Amino acid sequence: MAAVEQIGRAGKAPAEFWTVNRLRIAGIVAILGVWEIAGWSGLFFRGVLPSTVFIVGSMAELLMSAEFYWHLAVTGFEVLVSFIIGCFFGTLVGLVLGTRKFTGDVFEPFIHYLAPTPKIVFLPILLVLFGVGVWSKVALGAISAFFPMALGVAAGVRQVSAVLLRVGKTFNLTTMQTVRMIYLPAMVPPIATGLRIGLGISIVGCLLSEYKLAKAGLGFLAGQYYESFAVAHMLAVLVIIFIFASIGNVLIEKYVRLPGPGDVKAHR
Amino acid sequence: MTNATETASTTATPALRIDSVAKTFSTPHGDVVALEPISLDIQQGEFIAIIGPSGCGKSTLMNAVGGLLEDYEGRVEVDGTVVRGCHKEIGMVFQEESTFPWRTALDNVAFPLEAAGVGKAERHEKAMELLNLVGLDGFENRFPAELSGGMRQRIAIARTLAFKPRILLMDEPFAALDEQTRLLLGDKVLQIQQELNQTTMLITHNIAEAVQLADRVLIMTFRPGRIKRVIDIDLPRPRSSKMMGGERFGQYVAAIWDDLREEASKGLLELEQVRS
Repeated sequence: MAAVEQIGRAGKAPAEFWTVNRLRIAGIVAILGVWEIAGWSGLFFRGVLPSTVFIVGSMAELLMSAEFYWHLAVTGFEVLVSFIIGCFFGTLVGLVLGTRKFTGDVFEPFIHYLAPTPKIVFLPILLVLFGVGVWSKVALGAISAFFPMALGVAAGVRQVSAVLLRVGKTFNLTTMQTVRMIYLPAMVPPIATGLRIGLGISIVGCLLSEYKLAKAGLGFLAGQYYESFAVAHMLAVLVIIFIFASIGNVLIEKYVRLPGPGDVKAHR
Repeated sequence: MTNATETASTTATPALRIDSVAKTFSTPHGDVVALEPISLDIQQGEFIAIIGPSGCGKSTLMNAVGGLLEDYEGRVEVDGTVVRGCHKEIGMVFQEESTFPWRTALDNVAFPLEAAGVGKAERHEKAMELLNLVGLDGFENRFPAELSGGMRQRIAIARTLAFKPRILLMDEPFAALDEQTRLLLGDKVLQIQQELNQTTMLITHNIAEAVQLADRVLIMTFRPGRIKRVIDIDLPRPRSSKMMGGERFGQYVAAIWDDLREEASKGLLELEQVRS
């Protein structure tokens, strides 16, 4: 039995890998194709649906202008700082909600119901508190990232297996050891999910508030292009944002994970 | 082996003494006596099996002895010293999956040593020895998800042994496994117990398993739990699952079932009353 018992180390077979990637690329090409056809068909006003060629051209133009990098840096700073602040407080609150049943019962519904509320409604207050500069954007992004993180961590704490905690108890673990050796590793998957959602939503928060009222940032820039009807440029900005967001997501996926076979499901 | 145990039982202080341990749970519907006072001496190297119907309080007893239940009456002594709460001298193996999925087999076994501050090289060496003991050499770098249920339970046993407990408590450790794996793992446990002269207390509801492994089988009554009868299993050691076909083995199983059937029926009856 022993030989049959082991399940092979995870990793897709090369054939499957290529099929998957080929289909993904085909999907992207198809979408671009439809876009292009729709653009040239004349069904839409030319400016609304510019050809991908124009968008790529606008991107090149943007990437070569020094001003663009200033906006990029501002938004990058806002997203990074708000993401860190939001996730930090989200983790703290999530830990409290998850470990203290009473507190969780009382306050978690608030967080649940506030979570899907568009946080942009807080912008006027934040503008008054922090001004029109970067800090009101950081605040909005942080508030946005806070919610998915808090809920993810709270759920993560509760799903830590009771028997693993009992094992720790029989080995006389201190509270700190229990947190470090059992709680934290057991919670890596929900934390990673919280981080990914938090990153996406803090980007949205920062961009949206820049778009509303700001002096710099990619959201501000996209807004300017929109107002002046430079749709290709606006879309170019969005594509660049998309690329950066994807990189962030990939990094979280790659580095916030447990050791062990990724594709084989954990045994519980 | 048998001789050594017998001499020990007449002279030395017992490795584990359970002295009038009892437990009553308060519920909204009144108090429920889970465990009437139970007293029991286990000698060094002895293998005790406790068998009883569901709801006889055998897990309550195990949790009291293992320290997971702190609020009970009576005393638990290891080598004459009273212990309460989780204790280094008493190691536990659980029925449920209890390996850490993010740790390799080796790091799972090394877990208690790591918590105790043992250096990496030393704890890995010790963990390797134990993996060899449970027959998992060659699997040290595998993660639990890559191994079968039986192998994971062997990791859990090795991990508990890494703490070098004087007493090993096992709460239905094979309950989640299929019958064949269970028999083979039983043999493994016998071999380990023999090699380490490990004092062991096993909770089970499997009669054959109790006879296969134990020196003494304690039959417990249905709620409230108390010891109904103690049967000495006088089968030669070393034992193995091959003895199951033997005539004496069959007699023991029949004798235990005779006692157990009555208790199990009570449990079943109560269950039906609750339903109707």
